Amino acid sequence: MRRIILRRLLQAIPLILGVIVLNFALIQMAPGTMLDVITSEQQVSDPEQLEHLRRLYGMDQPSIVQLWNYILSVFRLDLGYSYRHGAPVIDVITAHLPATLILMLTSILLAAIVGVAAGVASSLKVNTIWDALISLCAVFFFAAPTFWLGIMLIIIFSVHLGWFPVGGMRTIGGDPGLFGATLDLLRHLALPAITLGLFYAAIYARVMRASMLEVQGLDFVRTARAKGLSPFRVTVAHVLRNALLPVVTLLGLQLSTVLGGSVVVEAVFNWPGIGSLMVDAVMSRNYPVVLGIFVLSACVVIVANLIVDLAYARLDPRIRAR
Amino acid sequence: MQPLLDVRELEVKLFTRSGTVTAIDRLSFTVEEKETVALVGESGCGKSMTALAIMGLLPSPPARLTGGEVLLQGRDLARLGDSAMQKVRGRQISMIFQDPMSSLNPVMTIGAQLSEILRRHMGLTGASARKRAIELLAQVRIPDPQRRYDAYPHELSGGMNQRVVIAMAIACEPKLLIADEPTTALDVTIQSQILKLLRDLQLAYGMGIIFITHDLGVVAEMADRAVVMYAGRKIEEAPIDPLFEQPLHPYTRGLIGSTPAAEGRHSRLAEIPGSVPSLRDLPAGCAFSNRCPSVFAACHSERPPLIRPAPERAAACLLVQP
Amino acid sequence: MSGVRIQRFLGLLRAFARNRGAVLGMAIIAAVVIVALAAPLMFNYSPLRIVGRPEQWPFTSWRFPLGTDSLGRDVAAMVVYGARTTLMIGIVASLTATVIGVTVGAVAAYFGGWVDEVLTRITELFQTIPNIIFIMSVVAILGQRMENITIAIGLIMWPQIARLTRAEFMSLRDREFVQACKTMGMGNFRIMAGEILPNALPSVIVLASLVVASAILFEAAVAFLGLGDPNVASWGALIGDGRSLIRTSWYICAIPGFAIMLTVLALNLVGDGLNDALNPRLRDR
Repeated sequence: MRRIILRRLLQAIPLILGVIVLNFALIQMAPGTMLDVITSEQQVSDPEQLEHLRRLYGMDQPSIVQLWNYILSVFRLDLGYSYRHGAPVIDVITAHLPATLILMLTSILLAAIVGVAAGVASSLKVNTIWDALISLCAVFFFAAPTFWLGIMLIIIFSVHLGWFPVGGMRTIGGDPGLFGATLDLLRHLALPAITLGLFYAAIYARVMRASMLEVQGLDFVRTARAKGLSPFRVTVAHVLRNALLPVVTLLGLQLSTVLGGSVVVEAVFNWPGIGSLMVDAVMSRNYPVVLGIFVLSACVVIVANLIVDLAYARLDPRIRAR
Repeated sequence: MQPLLDVRELEVKLFTRSGTVTAIDRLSFTVEEKETVALVGESGCGKSMTALAIMGLLPSPPARLTGGEVLLQGRDLARLGDSAMQKVRGRQISMIFQDPMSSLNPVMTIGAQLSEILRRHMGLTGASARKRAIELLAQVRIPDPQRRYDAYPHELSGGMNQRVVIAMAIACEPKLLIADEPTTALDVTIQSQILKLLRDLQLAYGMGIIFITHDLGVVAEMADRAVVMYAGRKIEEAPIDPLFEQPLHPYTRGLIGSTPAAEGRHSRLAEIPGSVPSLRDLPAGCAFSNRCPSVFAACHSERPPLIRPAPERAAACLLVQP
Repeated sequence: MSGVRIQRFLGLLRAFARNRGAVLGMAIIAAVVIVALAAPLMFNYSPLRIVGRPEQWPFTSWRFPLGTDSLGRDVAAMVVYGARTTLMIGIVASLTATVIGVTVGAVAAYFGGWVDEVLTRITELFQTIPNIIFIMSVVAILGQRMENITIAIGLIMWPQIARLTRAEFMSLRDREFVQACKTMGMGNFRIMAGEILPNALPSVIVLASLVVASAILFEAAVAFLGLGDPNVASWGALIGDGRSLIRTSWYICAIPGFAIMLTVLALNLVGDGLNDALNPRLRDR
């Protein structure tokens, strides 16, 4: 097991370096020098500050040195300064991070529960009307663009039915008590989480259904039935436990796409997380923030994938042996 | 005395998109206590399907039991609903299958898989189930059973896994054991160990055994009586020694002739020309008529009935004198 | 030789046609393509021109069957021209991704060793970076132009194709016919492109159809966020424009959304149909 951890860690490092190099390449590709853009967009004109920035970004040194400095600064978590927010980029990002994490985790949880349940139900009632209905819903939520789905949900549930607020994370001037505040948060969280989650629920439902059907036909399930075990036990302890494995892998692989999805959903619902920050930064040409988010989110994904890989190795005893 | 198992006029049909096919055509045979009956035939002759029909494990969309009775000590299993059959499976009748590496749940320890059958039928729990399971592992001659209890199937060899499967099968001291080609996937040396184990267990528990195989060598070693099947029909039945000394049906003669003799005589291996006809295009009359060396005119139009020239002997061939 | 190829092709066509969903999908895509091609014939003015009173509802006026948007532009024209943008970006991006992906996957699988190791790491790199964030970064830095968006999407999608190609090549690489070609003295490129690739192609084609669907969804998301090319009509941009009017004129959001959904659905159906036709499974026992 320790060997696996070490191996994965070693594989993760070149990835992180690769991301940083890619980021650096993007910086270099910017028209004009980055400095010009930063200073003009963010209205910096003080010559002392200009000189400080020039030294900071190593504009006067060969590319390789700049790259090396950049790598070091990333590892130091020094991602530059955002004049728009008046704070270091890293602080701006971490301030917006919790909102995004809440949204992502809730969505994934929702998607996993709903998707797996739907997939299992579908496989148990295969080729009946229920199976067809669930599959139809799955296809619908898969093909519909997430942001459009969000807007449609807003139109139905917020505008017309008034069950949920239209956007934002909190009601301004709302109930300060803990219970009230939590309820308020949940009311705001509901639609965005559902919007983001439905797409993945559709995927999980499909994968779960296929996985259940495939596992059901395997030899050891036949053995379990031949032992006279109850259908419930056969389905849960034998079929389900094996059928879940592909979904767990999938969950892990999709962390980067969920992050992307939350960007769009945050834009639709004005949810104050990294996504909204990103949109704002791109619109205002706030390069340090844009690139800071890019490099940081990529690293987060790499680390998260690492964790999921290790969790998967724990779940499937066959991998542990290797 | 009523036989342990009395299969009467068993009929199983396969309902497929391209038509209906009779997989088992009014098969009848009996098994007494402590007796081993071999079901012999080539792949596709219906012997595995017979076993599944007895266990109530026929793959239900295409296959269905359409006629006959399966009497276990006088009780008709074919009429039982699935929840009643669950109490029979693993408890009164056990079945072991061909490929031990795929017959066990890969994500459960072998101890857990053994304990679950003890819990289900014998009401044992926790420590007592574990103790009994370890006893069973010792009984099937698995070395170091205490440690093996917590092992996973992939950590054991094919032979060991098959012993585990056998342990699960005898855990509740069943009256009848169905063994579907249990040694075909194993090395020859392991094969004889497993066969010996089965014989010893039969002596110890007094079980009846249905041994399904296409290997006449195994038949000679294990069985008291043999039922030869072809294209879903019984075409010969006899005690072992008379069967080998004087096979009545041309197909049986062909099978025995194509088995390498143990004495290593340098006679040419006889080969049965042609191949088993598809169940969809069975020839009219005798199913073997298109390959039979002794075929004559009536064979193509009349389906030969089972003729009994002696007690305990039967053959479905027009050449046999009643 | 070509006679056999034609026979196989017809056989595939028949297998495809048996799947009703796939045929429906094909029909929808054909309709979208026809509409996209016929755009200048249907509307001989730029869709971005203001042509009428803003916020008119669909079916209320003969001139604007699908109504007008917040600025008074013809929604129907924008939808029709939007089809062009959508198809163009979807197809070009997925073609880019396919070319890159097949090349990387084939080379990695065929040569193995450290070449494989390096290429797999690079594939993993592009697979890990968060998609939308990458596109947004590219757009922010290089500008809101269709070419940038298309290439960025292509760069995100090629890893999946590379992985599939690599897997297919690896299973085919050690087959006898490849050994035979090598002993005949065939050059590596000829073996890869002429012998192995045609066998790996069916799976790649199935994936490519799904990649087009993903590309369309990405383009729509980017346009929705206001980061698309402002000089072309786009379904995503239309939804983005209509965002602030959902209380009164929600049709501006609904209509292009349906269009996207139908197209993506159709592509998925076609992909499934291709999968069934090209990778036959046993159905009856």
